[in-house]
Amino acid sequence: MSAYQLSIVMLACISIISVCGVFAMTSLAGMFSLGQAAYMSISAYLTFCLARYLGWPIWFTAIIGLVASGLVAFIISLPALKLRRDYFALLSVGFGEMVLAIVILLGKWTNAAVGFSKIPKVKNLIWIVLAITALVVFMVRNLKYSRFGRMCMALKTDEIAARSFGIDVYRLKVKIYVIASVIAAVGGICFGLRNRVIAPDSFDWSLSSEMQILLFFGGTNSLTGSIISAASLKVLPEFLKGITLFGMSLQDFKTAIYCILILLILNFRTQGIMGEQELSLEPIRKLARKLNKAKKKEAVK
Amino acid sequence: MSIQLLISGISLGAVYALVAVGFAVVFSVLKFSNFAHGGMISACAYAGFYFQRSFSNPPPIYLTIIFTAGVGITLSFVIDTIAYRRLRKKQSPNIYYFLASITMSILIVNLLTIFFGKNLYAFPPIFENTTFMIGKIRFSSIDSLILIVSLAILTILIFLIDRTRIGLAIRSVAINPATSQLMGINPDVTIMAVFAIAGALAGISGVLLAMKLSVYPTLGSQMMLKGFIASVVGGLGSLGGAIAAAILLGIIEIFLTYYFGSLSMPIILFVLMLIFLAIRPAGIAGRFAQEKV
Repeated sequence: MSAYQLSIVMLACISIISVCGVFAMTSLAGMFSLGQAAYMSISAYLTFCLARYLGWPIWFTAIIGLVASGLVAFIISLPALKLRRDYFALLSVGFGEMVLAIVILLGKWTNAAVGFSKIPKVKNLIWIVLAITALVVFMVRNLKYSRFGRMCMALKTDEIAARSFGIDVYRLKVKIYVIASVIAAVGGICFGLRNRVIAPDSFDWSLSSEMQILLFFGGTNSLTGSIISAASLKVLPEFLKGITLFGMSLQDFKTAIYCILILLILNFRTQGIMGEQELSLEPIRKLARKLNKAKKKEAVK
Repeated sequence: MSIQLLISGISLGAVYALVAVGFAVVFSVLKFSNFAHGGMISACAYAGFYFQRSFSNPPPIYLTIIFTAGVGITLSFVIDTIAYRRLRKKQSPNIYYFLASITMSILIVNLLTIFFGKNLYAFPPIFENTTFMIGKIRFSSIDSLILIVSLAILTILIFLIDRTRIGLAIRSVAINPATSQLMGINPDVTIMAVFAIAGALAGISGVLLAMKLSVYPTLGSQMMLKGFIASVVGGLGSLGGAIAAAILLGIIEIFLTYYFGSLSMPIILFVLMLIFLAIRPAGIAGRFAQEKV
């Protein structure tokens, strides 16, 4: 594959990783955050700045970046999750703005609004990104079907009922928020490795809201649906390159087309393309079993 | 010096108040944060800019304001038709309104960028003297105009909501749509009225912001975050609370920017919000509404 195609695949992978993080938080636990991109920026800046200024290997600084994002998420969530859900969403917006301001304040190291571009090149990046994506998707899938995931769903449906079943709601929320933030942080590092430049603008609240939109586009409670929508909607604009309509290049309209698609889905299929369903091999297996049974019956006759 | 800062803070806060009230009025009835408001503000700023420019001798400023208010109302109806009407018929959860409004906002900003570019357009000057003195205090003409217009509009709005029949209808639909329908109130008409109010506010604040700053596509999005903060801190869906919070926000912003630089603002604001919401979760107005997101 050419370098361009590889970069598109990586774009889709990064989108999948970040939407998986949001899935864990919003679809499972019902928390709505508009500040997840901030964790992407924390981990990306820490990873690449430490690697640059201290000369440490990138895998080591990546771990530092992830741990730091987890810690920040933990510290922020302790007071913020005591509040009601809508205040939490508001605080997440404020948090995202705060992180961006800090990045610009530390302009001496982060190169402020111009963007930090001294990111080392990693060989075979595509395989690393694909492996990370597979791992993240697998982990989030397990999370959904585990006891922990079921506890989260109980919390999402009715907080008071969940509490009456002996679930420690507050601790659960903190845990899931930290998990979601670390997944977002993984996405941030991959983003930096792919683009080779990170700027504060690329991690503003519109990226966070885009993650939420992709999630709901795919289906409120469907992991496969969110993955499909995350990959396809992110890649879609790339296919519009070079197409011209009425003398205007569709490339300029990529975000507009993307928004119109989302509005159409919201209007005509509100629950998202997959709704609550998961894509699985189960129907095919059932069909195979039926066919087998029919064959056996005929053999008996 | 500090009096001067206070005055420009109040003037900035008055613009935030227009944005926040546009937010709060939609929230109080439909129970969602109308993020498309930011896009409307930007679009109206462009409309005002081109209206002002299209005449060889510029029209008086009040004409521009009325014109943009009209544009805002139209745009608001269009957005309602495109994005919200079907959701309302299906009685979807609030989260979908929220998503639709964010998408709508991104769409408007994107269309503006395509057609007008990312350049900043300076609004044609309205006053010959940019400042005037009263006693020893220097006033900025634009800031004073903004303050006067905002206060007038807010007064009219509060009168409209508190004293008129349509205001009564809006308040009752805000409390309970089903019961108000039993009382002979048409919820659809009320919702249209709410969107008209929000659109007019977006138009007016758009042209005022364009005069104060300049015209560019993300003008509204930046204001929208401030409006969102003010409307939540003020108390969900409460107009008075939103105005108070917005003016407070403007004053805090001006003082912080003056003493610590503009970058300190988001950091300190976040901490202040955290503390405030932890101490007083019901907001300034103290009225508890339903969950917002």
